[in-house]
Amino acid sequence: MSDAPEMAQSVRSRGLWRDGWRLLVFSGKRLIALFLTVLVGVYLTIFIANMGGQVDELRLVQIRGVVSEAVRADPAFQDMTAQERNELIERQISLEVERLNLDQPFILRSFDYLYRAMMLDLGRAEQMHSDAGSRQVYDIIVERLPATLLLFGTANLLVFLVSVWAALHLSRRYGSLLDRSVVALAPTSAAPAWFYGMFLILLFAFVLPALPSGGMVTAPPPENRLDYLASVLRHITLPLVAMFISSIFISIYSWRTFFLIHSSEDYVEMARAKGLPDHLIRRRYILRPTLSPIVTSFLLMLIGLWGGAIILEQIFNWPGLGTLIFQAIGHRDTPVIIGTVVIFAYLLAVTVFLLDILYGILDPRVRIEGGR
Amino acid sequence: MTQPALLRVENLRLAYRTGRGVVRAVDGVDFDLRRGEALVLLGESGCGKSSLAKALLRLLPRNVQAHEGRVWLDDTDILALPEERFRRDVQWLRISMVMQAAMNALNPVVRVGEQVAEPLMVHRGWSRAKAMERAAEVFALVGVSTDFLGRYPFELSGGMRQRVVLAMSLVTEPDLVILDEPTSALDVLTQAGIMNVLKRIKRELNTSFILITHDVSTSSEIADRVALMYAGQIVELADARHFFTEPAHPYSQMLMASVPRLHQPDPPQHIPGQPPDLLDPPAGCRYAPRCPKRFGRCDEMPDSITVGERHHVRCWLHGAGP
Repeated sequence: MSDAPEMAQSVRSRGLWRDGWRLLVFSGKRLIALFLTVLVGVYLTIFIANMGGQVDELRLVQIRGVVSEAVRADPAFQDMTAQERNELIERQISLEVERLNLDQPFILRSFDYLYRAMMLDLGRAEQMHSDAGSRQVYDIIVERLPATLLLFGTANLLVFLVSVWAALHLSRRYGSLLDRSVVALAPTSAAPAWFYGMFLILLFAFVLPALPSGGMVTAPPPENRLDYLASVLRHITLPLVAMFISSIFISIYSWRTFFLIHSSEDYVEMARAKGLPDHLIRRRYILRPTLSPIVTSFLLMLIGLWGGAIILEQIFNWPGLGTLIFQAIGHRDTPVIIGTVVIFAYLLAVTVFLLDILYGILDPRVRIEGGR
Repeated sequence: MTQPALLRVENLRLAYRTGRGVVRAVDGVDFDLRRGEALVLLGESGCGKSSLAKALLRLLPRNVQAHEGRVWLDDTDILALPEERFRRDVQWLRISMVMQAAMNALNPVVRVGEQVAEPLMVHRGWSRAKAMERAAEVFALVGVSTDFLGRYPFELSGGMRQRVVLAMSLVTEPDLVILDEPTSALDVLTQAGIMNVLKRIKRELNTSFILITHDVSTSSEIADRVALMYAGQIVELADARHFFTEPAHPYSQMLMASVPRLHQPDPPQHIPGQPPDLLDPPAGCRYAPRCPKRFGRCDEMPDSITVGERHHVRCWLHGAGP
């Protein structure tokens, strides 16, 4: 066995090459599939939001009404005869119809919409505008997105890391006092985050005025970057704590059960027989093989919470997407609502793609079967 | 041949708490094993064979009620060692094990070569390269191509995985390897292959084996010593040639009669009745209710009676009457 080291080395590097190539093929395939999914999803949204072209009839009626009203009200056309005025109205309507391409069949225009939506050209809002004054739906959404990502990304990451870590330890101390207290506390998650939020605001903003009751920064925002950061930190604390309290115990509880089930796998028993230290068993034999379902549930939770954030953002006056949707619905600003849906579709697709890649990296079974 | 024993087990007990009471899975087991010897631990399902193996390696479930006795490995009572020292010094370095469900004993997301090399890196602090080199050697020893070092378990066949687990148990050159039903999930040809590997290793490395099985015919190929377990106790412990030719315990005799053989006109016999409930075993001899030769004294628990050189039987038929 004199050539064993080189052999082992070359086997290893060959294995890495093979895995890398398969991962690449796998990701490429998934990317194409996901692009098609988003395409179909966005097209369906456009089709449904326009009621298959029915909305155009309404818009024609609306244009006719607006144009006639404008012409009749304009003093410059006061001395025209009724016929002349009607001809003028018809001309202006046809100009408007041409400008909006309403003379083309809906099917053709729907593909035009699709192209623009996919390019994130989301059109102009009917009534709302961004804080910077832009009427572009894209600008409005992009202005709000970071606030939502900051709050919910941080909260979820925190809950996720703390609960997985705690659950891993609790699963090894199954039945201990700590374990039983966590199980007993799990029903606290029955109340949503905004419920705890109200009490936190009451306590820490009014009874003991230590933290701001809402918003993301003080008004006007501090000039200094460091002060700005400190201000955001003070504002984010209460919503963060509210979300943390409302989901941490149920999260620990469910992960603990999950780890308990996987602790009885034969290879975990084998690792114990091998006399491996406990931290290695936890990391390599319990956490590592179960990482794909863990990551999946984390990312899916992230997606789910964006939709459920409306009330929490309202309570804390947080300038995020939840507040935006709330306002857009109030104003009946259709382009903003559709634009938000498109952005969500993209976020969802990106998340699922990330998930697929992670699966491939984490689980050789997916990578190798998928690359074949 | 008065070589000192490598392993000496004295009055080993293991009991579990269950909802219905205490199960005495291992109830006062004594045996010894010399270096290079293979002990075959025979017994029906549920007689405590696997529990005995787990008691030796301290792989205990949470509901253990009692775990006591002495297990001498050379001159150390390994049952008395503190948990951490046992893990560091004994587990896998001195005693390794091939688990019953060896097919699923490999971590699905780690390359098999690394899993085989892992004990060396953990227990001996070897570098990865050195450990992988040694892993390649044991792969060759158990007859798996070194091309498979970089594969994942799901890319290997069942027999191949079994060999990899065997390689893992040999990688540290332990004094004793416990094999818990190593071939029960495999087809006959693969079984024969594994048994041949075991025989060769035993010859070449002078490793001691405890082979746990219920398969009398396969085990006879490798056994030097045989221990027959019944209801948590060893009822007969003997050299293989004595056990297979002239078993002393009535249970051993009936077990041997139940094995089908070539070139023998008598059809195999079956043993009537069921093994006793370990929650509430008979007060006297555990086998008495099924024994055709029972007599008055069987109401008392029989001692382990020596009937020959290293040959012990728990049966009053061989005892001097009071």
